[in-house]
Amino acid sequence: MPYLGGEETVRELRRALSNPNVQSDPLRYRNTILKVIRTMSQGVDVSGLFSEMVKACATVDVVQKKLVYVFLCSYATLNPELSLLVINTLRKDCQDPNPMVRSLALRNMTNLRLPSLVEYVEQPLTAGLRDRAACVRRVAVLGWAKLHNLHPSSEIDAAVVNELYSLLRDPDPVVMVNCLRALEEILKEEGGIAINKPITHHLLNRLKECDIWGQSEVLRVLQRYRPQSEDELFDILSLLDSFLVSPHPPVMAATLSLFLSISSNLPVISLAALERVSGPLLAACGSGSREMRFAAVCHIQLLLRSVPGLLGPHYKRFFCGYAEPAYIKERKMQVLVELVNDENVAMILDELKGYCTDVNTDTAQAAISAIGRIGRSYSDRCLQILTGLLGLKQDHITSAVVQTMRDLVWVCPQCSDTVCLALDGCEETLQDIQGRQALLWLLGVYGERISTAPYTLEVLIDRVRSEASLGIKMELLTATMRLFLCRPAETQDMLGRLLHYCIEEETDMCVRDQALLYYRLLHCGIEKTREVLQGRRSDPSLGVLIGRPAKPVSQWARCFNTLEPLSQGAVEAESDSRGSPEHVTYNSKPNADLSDTLSCKLPFEGKRSRINLSACPLPEVDVGGKATKALFGYSILLN
Amino acid sequence: MIGGLFIYNHKGEVLISRVYRDDIGRNAVDAFRVNVIHARQQVRSPVTNIARTSFFHVKRSNIWLAAVTKQNVNAAMVFEFLYKMCDVMTAYFGKISEENIKNNFVLIYELLDEILDFGYPQNSETGALKTFITQQGIKGQTKEEQSQITSQVTGQIGWRREGIKYRRNELFLDVLESVNLLMSPQGQVLSAHVSGRVVMKSYLSGMPECKFGMNDKIVIDKQGKGGASDDAGKSDLGGGSGKQSIAIDDCTFHQCVRLSKFDSERSISFIPPDGEYELMRYRTTKDIILPFRVIPLVREVGRTKLEVKVVIKSNFKPSLLAQKIEVRIPTPLNTSGVQVICMKGKAKYKASENAIVWKIKRMAGMKESQISAEIELLPTNDKKKWARPPISMNFEVPFAPSGLKVRYLKVFESKLNYSDHDVIKWVRYIGRSGIYETRC
Repeated sequence: MPYLGGEETVRELRRALSNPNVQSDPLRYRNTILKVIRTMSQGVDVSGLFSEMVKACATVDVVQKKLVYVFLCSYATLNPELSLLVINTLRKDCQDPNPMVRSLALRNMTNLRLPSLVEYVEQPLTAGLRDRAACVRRVAVLGWAKLHNLHPSSEIDAAVVNELYSLLRDPDPVVMVNCLRALEEILKEEGGIAINKPITHHLLNRLKECDIWGQSEVLRVLQRYRPQSEDELFDILSLLDSFLVSPHPPVMAATLSLFLSISSNLPVISLAALERVSGPLLAACGSGSREMRFAAVCHIQLLLRSVPGLLGPHYKRFFCGYAEPAYIKERKMQVLVELVNDENVAMILDELKGYCTDVNTDTAQAAISAIGRIGRSYSDRCLQILTGLLGLKQDHITSAVVQTMRDLVWVCPQCSDTVCLALDGCEETLQDIQGRQALLWLLGVYGERISTAPYTLEVLIDRVRSEASLGIKMELLTATMRLFLCRPAETQDMLGRLLHYCIEEETDMCVRDQALLYYRLLHCGIEKTREVLQGRRSDPSLGVLIGRPAKPVSQWARCFNTLEPLSQGAVEAESDSRGSPEHVTYNSKPNADLSDTLSCKLPFEGKRSRINLSACPLPEVDVGGKATKALFGYSILLN
Repeated sequence: MIGGLFIYNHKGEVLISRVYRDDIGRNAVDAFRVNVIHARQQVRSPVTNIARTSFFHVKRSNIWLAAVTKQNVNAAMVFEFLYKMCDVMTAYFGKISEENIKNNFVLIYELLDEILDFGYPQNSETGALKTFITQQGIKGQTKEEQSQITSQVTGQIGWRREGIKYRRNELFLDVLESVNLLMSPQGQVLSAHVSGRVVMKSYLSGMPECKFGMNDKIVIDKQGKGGASDDAGKSDLGGGSGKQSIAIDDCTFHQCVRLSKFDSERSISFIPPDGEYELMRYRTTKDIILPFRVIPLVREVGRTKLEVKVVIKSNFKPSLLAQKIEVRIPTPLNTSGVQVICMKGKAKYKASENAIVWKIKRMAGMKESQISAEIELLPTNDKKKWARPPISMNFEVPFAPSGLKVRYLKVFESKLNYSDHDVIKWVRYIGRSGIYETRC
């Protein structure tokens, strides 16, 4: 990419690099090269200096060599021909008496990533495997993995593979672990390195020598091993016991993962391991760094699926700190919901109530929906809190409460009386679309019990012309229809007006079609309409919170200690379900390409688009946020 | 295993980028910047998944460290590694700050080379690393060096860097105005002015040359009648009156605007900074559209009672909606009780502020609304008459009260192959109340 002033800089640097006076002064030469690297890291294209830099490579100064290699590795793929010139210097360096120089040369040789150079690299790599210095062997071993990656289809020589297997016995633990890594990559097609009894025992015995990265790696690979006898199994377990309570969360998690996989048909052992690990896990939850805390809480959520009672007495550990980021608070609340029992329910609800007024609206709404989930088991207490929150008259709180009440009523129909009473007057505070949609749904379904329902709807119908949200209009139509069925006298007139507006004036086809559908339905007679519109009001089968059957450990053991638990989707996304219960969630197609994600920056990234069952695909969703922008008051500027 | 490591500053500029594995493409650096650092909402999670690539990040002061991977790796380990990386860097050069990272980039590249090989952590102990690392950490630096580096980074244009690339070229223009008014009880405008800002958010690739046009009276008059009326009609997106051009009293520009061109031809051309910035500020005093008229009526009934009636009239197109309307009617200090009746919205007497606050959420144009209040006063010995502070008002309207209209914003980028038509442009007008007072 051209850079203003860049060409000038490059020319100047070239002049300096080829100046014999500079070349003869090592310090000046090194400083010039430093300048090149600095310019490079500032984003200037200095690939034009490639040939000058290749010359600078031939030096005894290690610092200079390192600098040049940084340069060469960045630009080699752009200059495959010139890179051939480097190979000679690099090969010569591989014979250097200084092991540091040898390892440096070997590493950079493999980092050039040029398939054309493979034939020149193989010989020094083979020699590197037998080098006296461990640091050279480390590099050489991984070098083979890199070569394999350049040509994934070509076979690596069987002799090399054998040599790598034998290097598992290398005295240097890093060489050993690198061998594991290299073999895993090279033998990927065959399912990775063959784990047999002698290898397993050798690795286990040397586990203590490795650093934490090596330990995690070894423990991960050993998951594939199946002990041949019960005695062997117990030997392994007792050997690993000290790692289970390791102060390093990654090692602890990897050990637990190994425990779970090798004892998968001995549930008692798995359970004992889970109990033993709960201490270190809780410690990780309180660790100083928030990311680690987050990872730990996410993994605890997995554990709780199988052993819901495991951390019951420690529920206070999951109370949120004031300054914690919202994502941790959200997860902790989800854990708290799981931990509720008769003894602690009062404490937990009290704590959650405190979060409802959090400055971060996301946290507040998550807290409210957590209370709603607890409400499935302890409905009276929770409804009392939720109704109390309505009194605050804060729009985001009211919105979350109404949505939560809607979700609660769907699973616990016995709450409906309290909910109907509480709803009175909320419509004035509600601002956002989801909240108003929830209110409309409740008004439609429980209209006969809410005395003011027709008046609330009437206000909205009068304002429908200025209503921007499609979802609200759709929900309003359905709610008015439902209300008409139970309170025809009060609703008939406004329903007529609404249908007239939607059919005659509305420009959005979805709304119009929906209105036409209802209009024609009404022509079929009131009984038919009732049949269609008044379906189920609740679904208690979705179940209560407590006494849910514990899921087997094997269900989640595979994804323990990986990335999966941390991604939102892995956890039951119930707190996420913000649409009407009858509405399905529609997952827009995940972007397959990184560059795609660069272009479509929706204002509400991450939130799923929701689509009404009866609606045709929304044009808004496809356009990539245009409609949402219109909503924010933007209009397109015509040229 | 880790596919790459990136270090960004708080603006999202890449300070260090090291890719270890081929499955991490060059666009990964930008993906993280766009989706996380420049995201509009708060960070939702320390792990972000973008197109099957996972980005793990930690933040140290205002530096972002991100590890990228395509594999389903052990999350705790990656975080542990990032902490370790921070520890090592701290051990070498002290606090992790933008300045320190820029000064020590050679050292950091060297460290990254030793700590990770092919994405596998190798050697992370500071003590052990010492034998492999040739560089010394630089903990501070002189002013001279600093300025030298900045001039190198910036070249000629200090506010924009090279090589910015967006898949979709898009720009947002916000015309934000605050309208100030002082009106006499009889409805005469005593003073009125609008101070406005044009804020631009640009997401444009390369080094685009932009030209901004508005209905500035001088330019319109110069161009001649025909073209002007056509233009103004086309871009009539908001606003109440059919005014075609406005007289700008004074204006100032962002440093990117070429002032010489503005002085000679009154055209506003510039190379915009990336992201959000304020393009210009201006002030107008003539022909201001006053979004609201306030008509007060105060009657003193005896010594212990006041009757106040206030009518507000909205004066813009009926299709537009004003928001967050708040009328503040001051009450005397010796008020003992207030009864309020209002047609719309909510009104409350706030004793602590000595005022009746009347709030209306929304109000369409060409409407009127009224409030009447009975104020009971405590009898006082004080002979001094109540000073009657003015009635003030707050609101937000979706048009520019000065009448300013954006006529065009043309984007020219000769080096990259996108044209003016490919750029998606958005305009929004927001008029807010400044000091908007009516005497009573």
